[in-house]
Amino acid sequence: MDLPVQQFRTEAEQELLDLFERSVDALPGDASIAAMRQAAIRTYAGLGLPHRRVEAWKYTDLRGALINVPPLIAELDVQVGESELDAAIGKACLGLPAYRVVVAAGEFRGDLSDIGALRDDGVEVVSLAQMLESPADWLTASLEDAAGRDDDVVIALNTALMTAGVALRLPEGLTLQKPIHLIHLDMHGALGSIYTRNAVVAEKGASATLIESFGTLGVKELQRNAVTTVSLAEKSAIHHIKLQREAIETIHLNVWAANVGTEARYNAFQLSSGAALARNQVYVRFEGENAATDISGATLARGKQHCDTTLVVEHNVPSCESRELFKLVLDDEARGVFQGKIVVKQDAQKTDGKQMSQALLLSETAEFDSKPELEIYADDVVCGHGATSGQIDEDLLFYLRARGLPEDQARALLIQAFVGEAFEVLDDEAIGDALTAVAAEWLGTPLE
Amino acid sequence: MLEIKNLHAKVDGREILNGLDLTIPAGEVHAIMGPNGSGKSTLSYVLAGNEDYEVTEGSISWKGEDLLDMEPDERAAAGVFLAFQYPMEIPGVATMTFLRSAVNAVRKARGEEEFSTPDFLRTVKEKAKELQIDIEMLRRPLNVGFSGGEKKRNEILQMSLLEPGLCILDETDSGLDIDALRIVSDGVNALRSPERSMLVITHYQRLLNYIVPDKVHVLSKGRVARSGGPELALELEKSGYAEYGQDEASAA
Repeated sequence: MDLPVQQFRTEAEQELLDLFERSVDALPGDASIAAMRQAAIRTYAGLGLPHRRVEAWKYTDLRGALINVPPLIAELDVQVGESELDAAIGKACLGLPAYRVVVAAGEFRGDLSDIGALRDDGVEVVSLAQMLESPADWLTASLEDAAGRDDDVVIALNTALMTAGVALRLPEGLTLQKPIHLIHLDMHGALGSIYTRNAVVAEKGASATLIESFGTLGVKELQRNAVTTVSLAEKSAIHHIKLQREAIETIHLNVWAANVGTEARYNAFQLSSGAALARNQVYVRFEGENAATDISGATLARGKQHCDTTLVVEHNVPSCESRELFKLVLDDEARGVFQGKIVVKQDAQKTDGKQMSQALLLSETAEFDSKPELEIYADDVVCGHGATSGQIDEDLLFYLRARGLPEDQARALLIQAFVGEAFEVLDDEAIGDALTAVAAEWLGTPLE
Repeated sequence: MLEIKNLHAKVDGREILNGLDLTIPAGEVHAIMGPNGSGKSTLSYVLAGNEDYEVTEGSISWKGEDLLDMEPDERAAAGVFLAFQYPMEIPGVATMTFLRSAVNAVRKARGEEEFSTPDFLRTVKEKAKELQIDIEMLRRPLNVGFSGGEKKRNEILQMSLLEPGLCILDETDSGLDIDALRIVSDGVNALRSPERSMLVITHYQRLLNYIVPDKVHVLSKGRVARSGGPELALELEKSGYAEYGQDEASAA
């Protein structure tokens, strides 16, 4: 294989290439997919792992964080019972009425998923691995679109190494009454890498809520790479919710890439409390007028956790609206990163874009880095951004204590109030309550 | 009974209270008046346990216990309640949630059973009605967007729910129109009882027409300069605070 020459490779960078070499023959897909994988690994080989001198990774040194690369996991016979699910995902979210879809240990688990019910209710749902063997046109389009983002190493590695996931298509006009809950798990064991890919296509006027949750069964040093592409046709709507509570040693790389058509709405909400290093990338590209997106979320981090949220919204057409609100609670030596890029192309007049990130620092050694980037080429737009970081307001704390709340409880209430504002964008009350419960649990339980 | 002896307190290194003595027996309402800067609000914060105020000398005993030894929440549990001059706004905390957390925290600390949800709602509704508080207001975030009068009525609602033994009202009349003043005063008067002590801090005599005190003390330069009956308040209304060293103009 001809690889572009990179000046210098770290051990982990080389190990990723070796991992691909070792795994490629067993990876699912027909010849077209195999070619796509080869192109992707070449893209990776040319770029290497991103580090601080790569502007989009200014605050997250992935090259420095990856010391070595554990083997690829794709195991079908992993025991996943209700008690394991409870421990990994938590009762609050698991208890939400939803169609359940499980991807564990790098494999799609039809035996644990409500595939029949989804199909009965009109959703086309297929195991990604199965579909890669003879991809439908809509899946190929999805994969090619993601591959087109050829400056993104996370996507390139995912395309090269993806083992499993689901492909979901909502036919024209379908409104799904219950959310789809896609549960991502690992397996019991010491270490491993998991690469999963999901593709979601909402046809004209279709609407659904997709919850993606990430939990740990037992892999101590998991390297997770998960990509979901979402394609929204005219007047469709997807509410995309994420709960990430993986083990504290995990390296979690995640991309959501959405293309949003005319009058469509894509709302994303992400709650992150797990992983040693998490990088959450959300890309939204407007392709039709009068479309809208709201990307919000909350990051809860302590110890030495590092959580990076990087958003890119591309206003390519006129009259679209984007809203971003992220709240971060950072304790101990935790580091929170928020990068929000809004690109307004010359044709994208009447764009309305707003962005806000706010951090609450609970210790003097916690750090918040915020980088808004507004690239505006149109002249008739309304765009704004803001970032704040602060500590708990001692006057408010005294007020609550004077009313009888013990200090711990008063602090927790103020932190919850701070985070709570981000949850207000969630239309679905049950989901809002479940995520609020997850946040409350985090506040009440010390890091192990 | 509240007994304050030779109290000295500093804030930001500046001595504000300078040998204050004050005793309020159970069942009595005492008013503290005085010019701006005389230490009225400092006294209220020291009693409630605000850590910005450093007590350098003296003692405060409440029902025989050393108040200065207690955390603010312990003081609340022991029955000390401060109605704030400027109640805090807390976005993201529904007033009802706050009320319930506070009431149950205090009940728990006092060894009483926590309220069940229906019992709590019934009690809040009853008391809110007396204070002419719309129950819808209690679903909003704590004090956010409340008018001055609504905030003060909300303070009195909290006071009535927490059933304190010592009520400290810090300039509760400030920013109130005459109707709101009457509602708030009625609420306070309804709480007067032989077991309860009250300390009413005010700059103006007006409030004391509604909440008639047993005793009036004039605070000047961090200590009690003069004590008397309710007639002392009327006298001050005429003569002003000029003879007590500071007045509004010089306080700033």
